[in-house]
Amino acid sequence: MSRINKNVVLALLILTSSAFLLFQLYYYKHYLSAKNAAGLSKSKGSRIGFDSIQWRAVKKFIMLTSKQNVPVFLIDPLMLELIDKNFEQVKNTSYGSTSECKFFCVPRDFTTFALQYHLRKNEEGWFRIAENMGFQCIKIESKDPRLDGIDSLSGTEIPLHYICKLATHAIHLVVFHERSGNYLWHGHLRLKEHLDRKFVPFRKLRFGRYPGAFDRPELQQVTVDGLEVLIPKDPVHFVEEIPHSRFIECRYKEARAFFQQYLDDNTVEAMAFRKSAKELLQLAAKTLNKLGVPFWMSSGTCLGWYRQCNIIPYSKDVDLGIFIQDYKSDIILAFQDAGLPLKHKFGKVEDSLELSFQGKDDVKLDIFFFYEEADHMWNGGTQAKTGKKFKYLFPKFTLCWTEFVDMKIHVPCETLEYIEANYGKTWKIPVKTWDWKRSPPNVQPNGIWPISEWDEVIQLY
Amino acid sequence: MDDWKPSPLIKPFGARKKRSWYLTWKYKLTNQRALRRFCQTGAVLFLLVTVIVNIKLILDTRRAISEANEDPEPEQDYDEALGRLEPPRRRGSGPRRVLDVEVYSSRSKVYVAVDGTTVLEDEAREQGRGIHVIVLNQATGHVMAKRVFDTYSPHEDEAMVLFLNMVAPGRVLICTVKDEGSFHLKDTAKALLRSLGSQAGPALGWRDTWAFVGRKGGPVLGEKHSKSPALSSWGDPVLLKTDVPLSSAEEAECHWADTELNRRRRRFCSKVEGYGSVCSCKDPTPIEFSPDPLPDNKVLNVPVAVIAGNRPNYLYRMLRSLLSAQGVSPQMITVFIDGYYEEPMDVVALFGLRGIQHTPISIKNARVSQHYKASLTATFNLFPEAKFAVVLEEDLDIAVDFFSFLSQSIHLLEEDDSLYCISAWNDQGYEHTAEDPALLYRVETMPGLGWVLRRSLYKEELEPKWPTPEKLWDWDMWMRMPEQRRGRECIIPDISRSYHFGIVGLNMNGYFHEAYFKKHKLNTVPGVQLRNVDSLKKEAYEVEIHRLLSEAEVLDHSKNPCEDSFLPDTEGHIYVAFIRMEKDDDFTTWTQLAKCLHIWDLDVRGNHRGLWRLFRKKNHFLVVGVPASPYSVKKPTSVTPIFLEPPPKEEGAPGAAEQT
Repeated sequence: MSRINKNVVLALLILTSSAFLLFQLYYYKHYLSAKNAAGLSKSKGSRIGFDSIQWRAVKKFIMLTSKQNVPVFLIDPLMLELIDKNFEQVKNTSYGSTSECKFFCVPRDFTTFALQYHLRKNEEGWFRIAENMGFQCIKIESKDPRLDGIDSLSGTEIPLHYICKLATHAIHLVVFHERSGNYLWHGHLRLKEHLDRKFVPFRKLRFGRYPGAFDRPELQQVTVDGLEVLIPKDPVHFVEEIPHSRFIECRYKEARAFFQQYLDDNTVEAMAFRKSAKELLQLAAKTLNKLGVPFWMSSGTCLGWYRQCNIIPYSKDVDLGIFIQDYKSDIILAFQDAGLPLKHKFGKVEDSLELSFQGKDDVKLDIFFFYEEADHMWNGGTQAKTGKKFKYLFPKFTLCWTEFVDMKIHVPCETLEYIEANYGKTWKIPVKTWDWKRSPPNVQPNGIWPISEWDEVIQLY
Repeated sequence: MDDWKPSPLIKPFGARKKRSWYLTWKYKLTNQRALRRFCQTGAVLFLLVTVIVNIKLILDTRRAISEANEDPEPEQDYDEALGRLEPPRRRGSGPRRVLDVEVYSSRSKVYVAVDGTTVLEDEAREQGRGIHVIVLNQATGHVMAKRVFDTYSPHEDEAMVLFLNMVAPGRVLICTVKDEGSFHLKDTAKALLRSLGSQAGPALGWRDTWAFVGRKGGPVLGEKHSKSPALSSWGDPVLLKTDVPLSSAEEAECHWADTELNRRRRRFCSKVEGYGSVCSCKDPTPIEFSPDPLPDNKVLNVPVAVIAGNRPNYLYRMLRSLLSAQGVSPQMITVFIDGYYEEPMDVVALFGLRGIQHTPISIKNARVSQHYKASLTATFNLFPEAKFAVVLEEDLDIAVDFFSFLSQSIHLLEEDDSLYCISAWNDQGYEHTAEDPALLYRVETMPGLGWVLRRSLYKEELEPKWPTPEKLWDWDMWMRMPEQRRGRECIIPDISRSYHFGIVGLNMNGYFHEAYFKKHKLNTVPGVQLRNVDSLKKEAYEVEIHRLLSEAEVLDHSKNPCEDSFLPDTEGHIYVAFIRMEKDDDFTTWTQLAKCLHIWDLDVRGNHRGLWRLFRKKNHFLVVGVPASPYSVKKPTSVTPIFLEPPPKEEGAPGAAEQT
């Protein structure tokens, strides 16, 4: 009797423990599949590659943004290039008919999207939902640079970047803000101290190393790997903008300090000059942009921007720089058509080229062409009376975007070096008398034009 | 062998048969033992597997949990940020559970200190008279509201009753009297003080000093009182020192459902008091309104700048009405607060809007003016694509069809260069002088109080010349100057789409408000279809005016225009009167007429080329200034223009007052 009992007990034990085990196995599987989407996905039959974590993360993200009305578009350079190369294919496949995952399944750490902040409907609703969907998200905020130019305003911080991670793949959402001058701006991704530096490999991010500025892209809807996404209409142009998108803000604080020391000139004449100089600069920018000639603010205009975030009222002209390799012969014609006749032309394309155009209200537009040497850049000057040549040397520089007189415009990124070369270490002190042949510390005599060439290299109108 | 063979077989067979039970038994036994052993090992194995699976499960769960913990990290940071905003909260939940509170009441000075920190100190002369009330959070000791009710003056006790009734039960109330607080402290207020448990409050007498600490709906924690010995003297200064036990945070908070909205509500309600049912535990007032969208809304993407100071209760009322207006888009609203005040910022956060604080520059009117400039510049910077901006102030109620009104009229600003602004406010639109919600006017004055500014006007004309801080100018007076306005006009509705409720303000007091603002009409009809909007364009408007004047019946000019009988008791007629107006700037008779019509008479408003349009007794009433107005030609030769003598100049007559 006792033996049978023992067996029964044994059997019961086994039964319960196996039931228990089964439950554990079930729970284990259930738990894992819910928590960690990777690896346990269902088979998709003939659709190849659709179980990759990249595709899944992108899909979830796109589902979320379309449901929550978050206005995003794809800006990932890798993806855009791929899409552009296979554009015919992307165009010809409609939703759901894709049999092979070609784009979003490419192995990579990030997929980058842009958020059009001004089009958003509800503030942060999607962020919490993303977290509930299994994304791990961080948000990088900062103060609004659009308020910087205004005395003593401090606002609510604005979001600059979101990074949402699903298992091993991260979505980098760059927040694009509208700025004056019809362009989009994104901020610098600066990690706060308490942030986990290993959250994602931040160094590999394609956006956020510096603030950036982009032309406002037109968008189009495409279906990529069965997912409907918005991409720029001209993806190549957008991708080309990325390496040159670095943006620098005007130094508003220093400019305020400058005006505390030297008081702003608010006379009627100063205001009138500023107005016409601003209009001239905007017109010149429009003309050159139409030609596709890159240019930057140089000399006094650059100093005005850097020192006081404004046009220097006594500077009497507007100065631009252009690399000589970007010179086009139709520049002169284009300016004439824009109502800016040529005033004088010094030098030639091979040497010391300089153009001057006559703007309205006696404001002159000077365009200096810059020549690149192994270790420096220079532009030339010519004295009309004597045919003397001058050379102004600058350390090498690259171009950055900034905002000036309600425009997105280039300045040398290495502005301080540029200005110090041109105006010396005392550039902070306003000087009203300036001799362009002697005052600049970077000027060098450069010989005399041969008289035979004068007709060509000294043209006055 | 064959024979033998079986025999041994048989034998053993028989033996076997004999032993077979034993063997079977033995076999069975060994078999069973094997089975048992098998079972045992099986069980052991099973156990082992279970243990292994268990361990694996534990490990995995732990990893999953630690992963899951990583993700709310930013959220924790966020919470930390909240914590930083509210430091006493953390301290309050620490080991120290008692606040020591000091309250001082005297003729010329009051102060309140909580744990050694002065939270109220007022010894300014001729200021802060009456009962000062402070509300503390019972869990944190955080000051949630600070008010002073000048109960020496009439009606202030009603405001105090209103306020004290709004305070949530359980909060710590501190009251102290400066100078005099009993003269207009009526029975209702005294009854309320009695219900709070106060002994001296209900019996407060002329120039008594009084300090009180108690819990709303709970026990009195301390009270001191000193009677004034004579009419001409004050009670002795009293200093009340008492301990206030703190309660737990859970008790101090309501149990609202955990939604985004309620999170905002909770944050707000744990910080401030005096906003009524928005913080009620049961059925709190909604903070999201979702009014009907407007079909074809032309102002959906027009930014709205709300200019505010430190009047958070006004701001609260204003934002409520703004967010309830049809066609509002909350993400276009920015509230600009002049100064680093916390409470207005809390109100802005409650509604989930964008708030921007502005370090005050300069003083008085110039400060307001600089605040306007910074706010307008910021608005156009934040919305670089916007062609217009709506400018509102914190002491305005917004009509339900405010955006509908703008949506129907904003194209005029684009198409007509002779326009300066569109304003929601009709200076002459009082209850008795405004009738037609579908009617618009063109006026030469800039009314403000809810208006639309064109970007180009601001950026190209106003911003560069804006009065500098050292000039103590009113921005609106400056904008009305001919140098700025340059002959341009504003579009206004007959019935205003905003209502000015502010009583406390830089240029505002109770008397002034009562006389000039209280009876102002505000449209309450939703979705009004404006009539013939394009007739407001420069040339079309002249045609319209000529039509009106041709149709108008000339009133009997022998009657006194100030008498009610000047206009017949009809409805729907158009009447015209001619008054004397020698030059474009001669408003002598108009001002007198405005005075007796009980409309705005402090300066000239609402005129269009020497013509004023308003309603009297449901009739459209036109007033033409002769001979300055070009419409004088419509005057029949037999009519002599009315002339009203200005009263002899008095000392200290009210100057040009202004609305801020």
